[in-house]
Amino acid sequence: MVADVLCEFLEVAVHLILYVREVYPSGIFQKRKKYNIPVKMSCHPDLNQYIQDTLLCIKPLIEKNDAEKVVVVIVDKDHRPVERFVFEICQPPLLSISSDSLLSHVEQLLRAFILKISVCDAVLTSNPPGCSFSVLVHTRDAATRNMEKVQVMKDFPWIVADEQEVHMKEPRLVPLKSMTSDIIKMQLYVEERAQKT
Amino acid sequence: MDELYLDNIDEFVNDHNKIVTYKSLSLALGVHVNTAKQMLYHYLEHKRKESSPQLHATYLVTGKFVGNGQTCHKVSIVREDQLEDFKSKMSLIVSVHVYSVQKALLKDSGPLYSVDYDAVKDNLKNCSKYSAIRCAGAEPMSPLELQQTLKVQIHPQPEPESSGTNRGTNTTSKSNTKPQKGIMGMFSNKPAVKNTSNEVKPEQKEDTAVVCPLLLLVLVVFAILLKVVPCSPQPCEKQDSAAAVQHQKDSRSKTKRVEDADSEEEKMDKKKRRRIKRPDPDSSDEDVIPDSPQPKESQPREISPKKEKTETGRSGMKVRKRRRVLKSQTYLDDDGCMVTEKGFVSESYSESEDDFQASKPAQRESSKAKPNLSSKDDDKKSQKKAPANSNKGAKQASIVGFFQKK
Repeated sequence: MVADVLCEFLEVAVHLILYVREVYPSGIFQKRKKYNIPVKMSCHPDLNQYIQDTLLCIKPLIEKNDAEKVVVVIVDKDHRPVERFVFEICQPPLLSISSDSLLSHVEQLLRAFILKISVCDAVLTSNPPGCSFSVLVHTRDAATRNMEKVQVMKDFPWIVADEQEVHMKEPRLVPLKSMTSDIIKMQLYVEERAQKT
Repeated sequence: MDELYLDNIDEFVNDHNKIVTYKSLSLALGVHVNTAKQMLYHYLEHKRKESSPQLHATYLVTGKFVGNGQTCHKVSIVREDQLEDFKSKMSLIVSVHVYSVQKALLKDSGPLYSVDYDAVKDNLKNCSKYSAIRCAGAEPMSPLELQQTLKVQIHPQPEPESSGTNRGTNTTSKSNTKPQKGIMGMFSNKPAVKNTSNEVKPEQKEDTAVVCPLLLLVLVVFAILLKVVPCSPQPCEKQDSAAAVQHQKDSRSKTKRVEDADSEEEKMDKKKRRRIKRPDPDSSDEDVIPDSPQPKESQPREISPKKEKTETGRSGMKVRKRRRVLKSQTYLDDDGCMVTEKGFVSESYSESEDDFQASKPAQRESSKAKPNLSSKDDDKKSQKKAPANSNKGAKQASIVGFFQKK
């Protein structure tokens, strides 16, 4: 269930990042409701399918606690990363979701994450036009072998990320939000390239 | 005014990168909302004089707006860069005040709602403490009143003999506990609405053709209900035309069932579900004979399946019972024509294997006739009869065997 909650949140977060950072035109986004607040979600079918397939492949890793980070990388026309939204995920060893109050508390924390993403424009510089994005997953060593199995099953190809996408030269670290709960610990920060243009 | 609030707002906006709305500020600092609005305004003015990093604000504008020839009162939240343009479009401006202050340029109003959502949720019990909206007549209910209200909503009191005016109320109250009161609803003096629902339930049960105490109870209850349901005038004489009979079949009027119940209920009271009295042929029963256009209905048919089922439940026990058997009776009517009608006759019998096999052919004939019962019998019962009869070879056989013994 933790994986479901996380994957739902990551889907909303990815959509919101694409909207806030103007990776795609704002016209393809429509207002939807999640966590009792309005959020912006894309209505483009290909984009939605891509994001869903990505998270579908990530979900088994999260279930097994093999995913350390999920990174949304915004790259410019030259495929050089300009921003990296890093979601560091850590699951406590004992997971027990037994109370509604716990879930409502988690919902409140996730709502704060959404709000922080909404106002991240204030702490980040504008991106150059023509940007695109990709999703990276940092896993533990043994999980990469399982990813191949998942790849075959899902028919959704995963490749090893390029070094330049994984590491950014002298990035500016901008912390956005962190949360701690009984079922999950997560923090969100942005690595921003100093010179974007 | 104390200047400390400026530092507080500056901490929220610049350090925490929060969106500060007047509502969240009033809840955070414990001040009236109008005071919070003034605070935000002063903070904006102060920061802009200091040439601080750019701040963005949103404003709440209310006033009269003329659109499509109609004047309406409009309340809008607009960004600061759109404020003047929006004000120029309003015919009359009632109020303009700062709604929020933040560092980021908001693309839509979604985050504003999120901020107030969390602020109100954290102060749910006193969210309107600093509000400017007041209603003298609105008073919170005492805990005792609240409990009483909740009790009434959870457990509405049943009203079995309600009038037609109370129908809606009872329907509403009973709808909340529908599974429980589905049968109980049959006891009430309800007009068509309730009876329609009651019809459905017996029909559904008839389809299953399962003999069970619950089914029997339903039939009994239904019979009682029919007694109290007002009946509409319908032709019930033997000399009714076939068309009228057919119409009665199609309409499935409750009247016939009522009248049947009238005659049957008396029998039921005496026999207590086990005995089936032979109804008088000249009675005002309106059972419609299936198939042939025979106007004469001698016996109510809806009782037979349930009584048969009653006895079916007791199969295996060789006891003396009474059953209603479909028998043909031929007589001459006033015009000298021979009229053959099928009617139910109460017969006593004892179940045995010989009775089972011998009674099968006779049962088939009766089963053919029964599905074409009149509308007086509801569909439930007619459907009950067909599968019941087809499956109850043992019972019918026993009845036929009884005749053979004779």
